[in-house]
Amino acid sequence: MEHIIQQGLLVGVLATGVRLATPFLLAALGEMFAQRSGVFNLGIEGIMMMGAFFGFLVTFFTGNPYFGLGSSLIVGFLMGLLMALVSVTLKAEQGISGIGLYMFGWGLSGLLFRLYVGGITSIPGLGPLHLPVLSDIPHIGSILFNHNWIVYLAYLLVPVAWFVLFKTPWGLRVRAVGTTPEAADTLGVSVNAVRYQALIVGGVLAGLAGAYLTIGQANMYADNITAGRGFIAVALVYFGRWNPWGILAGSLLFSMADSFQLWVQVMGITFPYELAVVLPYVTTILALAVSVGRVWTPAALGRPFDRGSRG
Amino acid sequence: MKRLVLYLLLIMSLVVFTACGTQQASPSKEPTKETPKETKSEKIKIALVLPSTMDDMAWSQSMYEGLKAVQEKMGKDKVDLAVSERLGNAVDAGAAIRQYASQGYDLIIAHGAQYQNVLKEIAPDFPKTSFAYGTGFQAGPNIFAYDPQAQEGGYLLGVLAAMMTKSGVVGVVGPVEAGDAVKFNYGFQQGVTKTKASVKVRVAYTGSFNDIVGAGEMAKVHMDAGADVLTGSSQQAVGAIRAVGERPGKYWLSTDMDQSKIAPNTVLAAQAYHWEKIVSKMIELRKQGTLGGQHLILSFSDGTLELKYNDKLADKIPKEAKDAVEKAKQQIISGQLKIELPKK
Amino acid sequence: MARRSLNEGVYLSKMNRNAGTIRLVKSWMQQLLILLGALLAALLIGAILLAIARSNPIRAYYVMFTGPFSSRFGITETLVRATPLLLVGLGIVISFRSGILNIGGEGQILAGAVTAAALALVLQSWPAPVLIPLVLLAAAAAGASWGGIAGWLKARLSVNEILSTVMLNQIALQIYLYLIRGPLIDPQEVAYGTGVPQTALLPRQVWFPRLVPATRLHAGLILALLLAVLVYVFLWRTTIGYRMRAVGAGPAAARYAGIRVEFYLILAMALAGAFAGLAGAVEVLGVHHRALEGLSGGYGFSGIVAALFGRLHPLGTIPASLLIGALILGADMMQRGVSIPAAMVMAIQGLVILFVVSSDILLRQPELLSRMVPRLAKKR
Repeated sequence: MEHIIQQGLLVGVLATGVRLATPFLLAALGEMFAQRSGVFNLGIEGIMMMGAFFGFLVTFFTGNPYFGLGSSLIVGFLMGLLMALVSVTLKAEQGISGIGLYMFGWGLSGLLFRLYVGGITSIPGLGPLHLPVLSDIPHIGSILFNHNWIVYLAYLLVPVAWFVLFKTPWGLRVRAVGTTPEAADTLGVSVNAVRYQALIVGGVLAGLAGAYLTIGQANMYADNITAGRGFIAVALVYFGRWNPWGILAGSLLFSMADSFQLWVQVMGITFPYELAVVLPYVTTILALAVSVGRVWTPAALGRPFDRGSRG
Repeated sequence: MKRLVLYLLLIMSLVVFTACGTQQASPSKEPTKETPKETKSEKIKIALVLPSTMDDMAWSQSMYEGLKAVQEKMGKDKVDLAVSERLGNAVDAGAAIRQYASQGYDLIIAHGAQYQNVLKEIAPDFPKTSFAYGTGFQAGPNIFAYDPQAQEGGYLLGVLAAMMTKSGVVGVVGPVEAGDAVKFNYGFQQGVTKTKASVKVRVAYTGSFNDIVGAGEMAKVHMDAGADVLTGSSQQAVGAIRAVGERPGKYWLSTDMDQSKIAPNTVLAAQAYHWEKIVSKMIELRKQGTLGGQHLILSFSDGTLELKYNDKLADKIPKEAKDAVEKAKQQIISGQLKIELPKK
Repeated sequence: MARRSLNEGVYLSKMNRNAGTIRLVKSWMQQLLILLGALLAALLIGAILLAIARSNPIRAYYVMFTGPFSSRFGITETLVRATPLLLVGLGIVISFRSGILNIGGEGQILAGAVTAAALALVLQSWPAPVLIPLVLLAAAAAGASWGGIAGWLKARLSVNEILSTVMLNQIALQIYLYLIRGPLIDPQEVAYGTGVPQTALLPRQVWFPRLVPATRLHAGLILALLLAVLVYVFLWRTTIGYRMRAVGAGPAAARYAGIRVEFYLILAMALAGAFAGLAGAVEVLGVHHRALEGLSGGYGFSGIVAALFGRLHPLGTIPASLLIGALILGADMMQRGVSIPAAMVMAIQGLVILFVVSSDILLRQPELLSRMVPRLAKKR
């Protein structure tokens, strides 16, 4: 009896953790490209809110979550473009313009929600995708293969992002403009164009992460739906040392800790629940503090590129 | 091109400023004096200050709808209603309340326990204005404190949950362990265990009031762990309800207001707050010259709290369950049944 | 290893250099004009949003801009908001100048607030001249420790400060909520069964005196103004201040000059935390007279905005805090004046920030400005 409960707990923790990691993974992978190119986008939270809202709105009006998803991607694209305009072309201080983007995204999505929806309503979401054979494997099947397809996509994007970043010419350019923009410029790479592209990729993925919250997870929209998840995604990029696999590890660690605390609470183990709620945050800090090793940062991170002023 | 943009900006700004100048002369200017205007007509001006939004499907919306109902009943020309939302921060709430007071509002309702402090400070400066807040008990000469006995509805829903569960496990998706949420959860737990001692109540908290995604995930974990009847309070509960709605055969019990609109096949019953009765009472008291000083209790005994069944699911609830709830309700009303509250 | 981690500070140091050149390049008149131009542009886009929201932009802005200044109430309320903004902003100035970014203000405010409330409640009977300084010092120490954790993690274990402060904000919030609903809860709340998460009212003698009767303007403002001058003196007239700025300007060079870079990074973060903690204590002693839910009020973030508007200068942060305070209040009054959704307020604030930071380019690249406004440039 005890054994069954323990096994059930383990399966439960893993299954929930895998699902919870999805929005962090999507947003952090996008942010990784932006930061690799040298732009620090703290406005991810705002982009996620806009993505979440438009995904909801269009699904609400059309009844088709795929239309909603598409519009989230478009909104993510536009928000990424806005951030690029402000931080690349106009060379604004990046941390602060990110906070501006966050407030703008939160405000605008809240405003449009009031104007065009005006009340909490649920929408049809994406159901779980049943994978033949895989979903039917006893025990593991329900953990890894009982989610909607955005979850799989997020995990699939990890190797894809790795490949794009390290094995394609574009990835090379992104890394070059993020570490030695002057040298890249000398070689004829348009630093600002690459940064625009990277920020837009980041925006689209953040839009998708937002859409996952409304279409994939909650199937509804409410004010401040992201509740700080975008900021955590930014932190996870640092945690993952700007590497897709590191980001995967960080997202999973954070989400597993979160899933664990949910299960511990639900199973009725009594201790102050605040301790449980802070568990993922503490775990992440501790994991980073003890993992002493190679520390590398995109050298040009946060530095607007200026042809005139080298060095 | 850039120069053109700049000139355009200059022209626009000129237009804006001249427009402001003409606006200044218009009579809509707000009174700068701190003393409220004397309202001679029958019309009553009510202002509402909310911690979240008026469409949150929970605490804030229930009060907003209560006020709308009052306005409907008394006539639109008799009640002037103003609302300020998202004032969880006590500094901003204080500014809003003071501004309403100086604009001559008769009754200012600050809908949250956290506003007690601010009201105590502002109210003495506006002795002719009535203020109200809740959940709370500390009234003042012109402050009403309202206090819904959320544990009563919690108890009744607990009875219902115990009768309805098949798995023997019921789950609570809590926000932060304080205030109304604790009262409700205490009542719920007692209702369940006094009805069927074998049924397990599992209480968990998200640590937030408004994380609907987090609440949804917690509900999913509750269900994965075996719960088949769930409940929970605060505005984040809607996320949990939607998550429960995804799974057939699982039920949700609502509080704050009837939330069955979100998941019509899932919400069995709701504890609804009849704010309109409390507001009407305050208006009545004010007419009689009592501007505050009362601790107004919402409870089942005077009908300000009510248990509403979802008509759509009425046939799903066995008669003996309804009877058990009705019996407990009568015992609460007669005072036979005392629900314990957390004490240190 | 730690040496390598300091490269992360490079981008901040670059920013500092920008801030330095900005001060040289332009007269304050031009800076002001550019700031106002950016504000105007943001408001024009905001006007479109207001029109979408079916409300009259002119009336809305009229309320927004006259509200904070047209009455004693408006002016004092602006100053009430400017006080914590200035305090947090001063800490941000110190940390930015030292090459480290503190976005943990929210958590540090809460650490200071709950410490202040707890200490004042424990030492109920102590006389004010002893108790008030003690409470303020304790709150600053609490904020400093909370900020210092992030500084220490950065300096010793090269944990990025953005990561750690984001996490520490969440942790502080949960600890704070636990304390005010648990050990520190007002006994009356328990007795009546309402259980509202807040501490008991603090003893009267620790309340800050009110500067204007029947308003909330309190003596914390004077404290904040004094500290602004002190921070200026500290950063530009003391050896420690000089060293901190040297670390910010270039950690490698600073190390070469024999400055203990790690120590100053921790100090910078601790000082930033101390000011945020002080802001928390000032909110408790000056405004609320107890610790309650929702106390930090976003000042940890808007304080950063105030510091940047103030061009990362302690004295510049004074008018910047006033501006941000007025903006927050004015936008909030707009909600009531023309009944638009509160979300609009947030959107307009976001626009203002975006435009103002974007306008910085005109200060950094003066040739752009002279191309746009030839006459203005000629005056130079």
